[in-house]
Amino acid sequence: MTTEKKKLLELRKLKKYFPASGGRSLKAVEDVSFVLYQGEKFGVVGESGCGKSTLGRTILQLYQQTSGSCVYYGKSIQELNPKYIRKEISKLKSYQQDASRFYQKSLEVDKKAAEINEQAMSLDPDGSSKDAKKYDKLRREVLKLELQSKELRKDASRSLREGSRTIGSLILCKDLDKIVELFNKAEDEVKAAHDTFVSYDKLKTQFEANETAIDQALNVDAWIAEVEGKGELNEQEQYHLADLKYIKSQVAGVNVEKLKADNEALRPKMEELEAEIKKHHDIEMGYRQEAFDKYHGKDILPITELTLDKEYQDKLDRNYETGINLAKLTPEEMRSIRPDLQMVFQDPAASLDPRESIGKAIEEVFEIHTKLPKSVRRQRTLRLLNEVDLKAEHYYAYPHSLSGGMKQRVGIARAIALDPSFVVLDEAVSALDVSVQAQILQLLNKLRDENNLTYLFITHDLGVVKHFCDRVLVMYLGNTCELADSWDLFHNPLHPYTKSLLDAVPRMRLGQEENEEDILQGEVPSPINPPSGCPFHTRCKHCMDICRKEKPKSVEAEPNHFVSCHLYDKKKEN
Amino acid sequence: MEREKVLDVKNLYAVFKIQKKEYEVLHDISFDVHRNETVCIVGESGCGKSVTTLCVMGLLPKNGRVISGSIEVDGTDLTKLSANEVRKFRGKKMGMIFQEPMTALNPLLTIGYQLRENLMLHRLVDKKTADKMAVEYLTKVGIANPESRLKQYPFQLSGGLRQRVLIAMVLSAQPDLLIADEPTTALDVTIQKQVLSLLNGLKKDMNAGIMFITHDLGVVAEIADKVVVLYAGRKVEEGSAQQVFNDPRHPYTVGLMKAVPNVDKDEFVIEPIPGMFPNITEEIPGCRFNPRCAYTKQCPLCTKEAPEMLEVEPGHFVACHLVKENAQ
Repeated sequence: MTTEKKKLLELRKLKKYFPASGGRSLKAVEDVSFVLYQGEKFGVVGESGCGKSTLGRTILQLYQQTSGSCVYYGKSIQELNPKYIRKEISKLKSYQQDASRFYQKSLEVDKKAAEINEQAMSLDPDGSSKDAKKYDKLRREVLKLELQSKELRKDASRSLREGSRTIGSLILCKDLDKIVELFNKAEDEVKAAHDTFVSYDKLKTQFEANETAIDQALNVDAWIAEVEGKGELNEQEQYHLADLKYIKSQVAGVNVEKLKADNEALRPKMEELEAEIKKHHDIEMGYRQEAFDKYHGKDILPITELTLDKEYQDKLDRNYETGINLAKLTPEEMRSIRPDLQMVFQDPAASLDPRESIGKAIEEVFEIHTKLPKSVRRQRTLRLLNEVDLKAEHYYAYPHSLSGGMKQRVGIARAIALDPSFVVLDEAVSALDVSVQAQILQLLNKLRDENNLTYLFITHDLGVVKHFCDRVLVMYLGNTCELADSWDLFHNPLHPYTKSLLDAVPRMRLGQEENEEDILQGEVPSPINPPSGCPFHTRCKHCMDICRKEKPKSVEAEPNHFVSCHLYDKKKEN
Repeated sequence: MEREKVLDVKNLYAVFKIQKKEYEVLHDISFDVHRNETVCIVGESGCGKSVTTLCVMGLLPKNGRVISGSIEVDGTDLTKLSANEVRKFRGKKMGMIFQEPMTALNPLLTIGYQLRENLMLHRLVDKKTADKMAVEYLTKVGIANPESRLKQYPFQLSGGLRQRVLIAMVLSAQPDLLIADEPTTALDVTIQKQVLSLLNGLKKDMNAGIMFITHDLGVVAEIADKVVVLYAGRKVEEGSAQQVFNDPRHPYTVGLMKAVPNVDKDEFVIEPIPGMFPNITEEIPGCRFNPRCAYTKQCPLCTKEAPEMLEVEPGHFVACHLVKENAQ
């Protein structure tokens, strides 16, 4: 591929625990990390209880995440102007000081440990029983101190990591005050850009309202003629006609020429504001660039023994977040970014209010998130209905009169109403019959191409994943098993769980040899009390000693093919 | 070798009353199930596959009724019997496994109690023997530690185990006919595989016929000996699994096969069957499938006349004008 993929969303060690009885926690999602690129159809597969739905909801912040980060790149910081960044900048100094303090403390503890150790070494453990007892006691103390020192070092690096999210490896610099100053200046520009954006948005709304009015005034007669041309009308079509006639009476006095002139006048104003936003943005980037140019890699403080290490600095630089950290947004900010991040649910009937007409249900979205006037809302809703292959008269229908596939189309229309960039499809086609399922998949493909959407497609159906998704993540008990391109995963599955999952899929093939041993036995263990080590070891036929003790890390067994299994650690070592 | 028929459904017509008007839900359905045979009834939701099972079990809701045709179980026509007489057949001669095992089990009673009740009623054994037999049957369906399971309540079991308990319960009455209505739809694939292989293994042991309802063609391929495809209350195709899978004739069956995202295929063009599944209140003249069929325009009969079942090869029946035309 020649064009570089643009990041949309980055998850780092995302965790979600639910509280369970007895002070325990249900580990629904455990350390999930991956990058989602723009325009991708990313599949998440697993059995029920593997945490795939929780993952989708945690990304959308419908559940509060327990730890880790979820960074969104689809919207610029200028548009949102989140408050947390300034807060983080003000904390930078203390991060640096904390790290230094923790590290110094750990050195002291180390020193103490060394002293005690020396004492212990002077004793002979095989000598008199008194000596042996004392030796044991001292050694225990040394171990305790060593653990303490390790914890302190961890705290130190945690502090630095927190700081590096805002400014990368600059957190290590001596001139932190000056850097903070520059970053604060950049934030001022972000604020200014955001203010401009608000007034720009107002003008844009006005512009669209005018456009709609012009459109209605010019075309309403044609629309009426179209409906009347159908001959006998059903109830919904009659409502549609009545509404059109009402619109006609409303737009009768509209001066089209004047509106057109108004819009012409609005256009340069909008362009002016756009330029202003860009200007602020450039200045902001200038400040950030200045900070990096002047201070990056220079005058680095020896905060811990690692800080002078180039590799460590690079690691901190990679932590630098240019996107929006969703977990840190305030509820209001989250609400304003919500239009970008949408979700389609499995059961379309349950996500629609049975007492609300379809049109109302879709229009509601605009009512909540935009300031568009009623006429524009209606017009947009009709356009959406058309986009998801429903008819204008469905505007007046109620959910009970639609089939499952049509209801799911309404769900999709609601999700894409506000022009999102990211949609989580949680088992969106699982409740539908195959022929309808194919229709919905086709619609989803069409909408993605037209609106530049990115999907997170959650499903248990491997067939759908294979043919719909570009990349697939296999999950088991909250953990990631395997992440690969769809083609790779199905032709060359590496993880034993993926293999047995593929074996279990009912094939459209007759007379296959049934092999009792190949059938995966047992059931998914409880996530409250997950097995030690690799979560799959209780059902895995390749289970080794290490599997029971140690959790496997995700390794890149083949290019772009990640797998978490001890079978593949070994291969790498050898 | 002529095998014994356990179920013989002939020209079954059933209607549902909705707002004082009767609508046909089953139109001329005929099929039979032999001993040691699994017959799969396939179709989309609303095609009448569940209604067929309800007719056989005599469990139609109050607004539905069979208007004509016969349902013979072991040679007795159930449609001629009173509700009380049909009751004697249910459970004993024909057992049913439902889609949702949780709703089929009583949450207030232990597994052991429910199994024992069933055994005492149908096998006329005393309590002690019933408990012993319950353990036996639980072992048969592959449940580990059956003794301790007997004391458990349904909520303590996972979905797969509950379904196994239900199968054990149905088997324990030694029915001649086993009706399974989407028994694996609510289960995960790995568990589904376990249950399907269990059913396949049990088929030989219990010497009964299985009528298996599903919408998943993959499951059909794993378990079926014979396949009946329904569309909107009508039988459109019937044949052995080999015939229907390797050589589907009806445009609906062909479309259905193409619409399934098949894991085995490398290339897959999403090819939905156009249009919507008809509502039972809709009246469609001619072939019920004609508004969604790609060949309707080529054939003048489709919109006028309902096609008749035609035997295209021995045991393989198709109801389509186009197939008939090509055959002639």
